[in-house]
Amino acid sequence: MADVGADQLDDTIVSEPLDLVRLSLNERVFVKLKGDREIRGRLHAYDSHCNLVLSDVEETVYVMDDEDEDLKTIKKQSEMLFVRGDAVVLISPPLQS
Amino acid sequence: MSNGTADSQAFSPGEETSEIAKNNPSAFLSQITGAKVAVKLNSGVEYRGDLQCVDGYMNIALEQTEEYVDGVLKNQYGDVFIRGNNVLYISSI
Repeated sequence: MADVGADQLDDTIVSEPLDLVRLSLNERVFVKLKGDREIRGRLHAYDSHCNLVLSDVEETVYVMDDEDEDLKTIKKQSEMLFVRGDAVVLISPPLQS
Repeated sequence: MSNGTADSQAFSPGEETSEIAKNNPSAFLSQITGAKVAVKLNSGVEYRGDLQCVDGYMNIALEQTEEYVDGVLKNQYGDVFIRGNNVLYISSI
């Protein structure tokens, strides 16, 4: 048991899903939120609710334009952001773009 | 109760099917960890990848993940954490 604990502390073993988030601390992550929102930023803190604290954040909101029926994107920047966990759908270290 | 042999016979088919999940959904989930799975969310978006692990909230970690919206591949991720409350189903493929 003690060996397993030591492995988890200093290794990159993912034994529970939130370990993925722990391994992304201080990395830039991609977060998908409810309501067609996406966020990219550096992950500073998280908890079991998936409350997140991110810095250097770019938020992308996808909006359907009713007149043109085009998918519009709105981008917002913020220095520091707290995200409430219940809005989180997905968290990923951004390999893509 | 009156017939022990009949009881055990009646039980054996159940035991065969229980190899899949031991009558326990979480046992099924631990059985398919490491396998390729499809995870559908309430929004209809589907993620396909290798199931790394699941926890009691049904939070999910996937590897080599592909995101399908309306059946069309929209995105690919190396690793993905999916918050459990969004999950509609998990299926081994």
